[in-house]
Amino acid sequence: MSFIQRAVKVPPNSVSLEEARHRVFDFFRAACRSIPTIMEIYNLDDVVAPSHLRSVVASEIRKNSSVTNPKVIDMLLFKAMEELNNITEHAKQRHHIIGQYVVGHQGLVQDLGTKDQGASGFLKDFYKSNYF
Amino acid sequence: MALRAALLRHVRIPAQTLNPALTLTGGKWGPPSLRWMSSHDDHLTKSEVTERVLSVVKSFPKVDPSTVTSDVHFQKDLGLDSLDNVEIVMALEEEFKLEIPDKEADKIDSTNLAIEYIYNHPMAG
Repeated sequence: MSFIQRAVKVPPNSVSLEEARHRVFDFFRAACRSIPTIMEIYNLDDVVAPSHLRSVVASEIRKNSSVTNPKVIDMLLFKAMEELNNITEHAKQRHHIIGQYVVGHQGLVQDLGTKDQGASGFLKDFYKSNYF
Repeated sequence: MALRAALLRHVRIPAQTLNPALTLTGGKWGPPSLRWMSSHDDHLTKSEVTERVLSVVKSFPKVDPSTVTSDVHFQKDLGLDSLDNVEIVMALEEEFKLEIPDKEADKIDSTNLAIEYIYNHPMAG
């Protein structure tokens, strides 16, 4: 219950783009500092290095680098914070973290075999887009 | 109960002041410094800090290791953006087991500044 209450607390909107930018960096630092804890609670030491997880977080942030509306950035930050809270509260299991962040979105299903070449785009997306 | 009280009245032990030679600070055999096993004094040398900072920057995936010197600006010389800059600073925090406050972390934008900051930090290890 406690983590739900913490998660629904919404900070006031960023006034300017500059403030939103700073909040993104603050979030990135918070995420980086919780990486050692995450590696410990999900037993990730033998599958991934902390530097790789840092790069993954940075690339998730960079996916939205074209967003310039501070309100949208705040919304994305809220979702990111929620995700980080869920991860550090151990609300996920090991395979969630590995599937989503360690091997990446198309890590396990790669259409290299000949039988995959003929698969429809819909089916490829279906395999690929388990996580949005 | 009465027996216990009578007994205790007879076996009272006189209070003594503690022998000053046995206290912690003024011991006969102790070395002059109180914290002689503290690890705070062995500070990192500048060359060691430089070497480790450069190896962290070189191992960053987007950086060409041959371009990294001890006086290189992350964004102007290495072509990184501000998010990469924060990522490098976080990697340095992990390497030296520090926690750099946000205001100082914002100012670190070149290897030179990073080496200076870490060399002057008392807890860098």
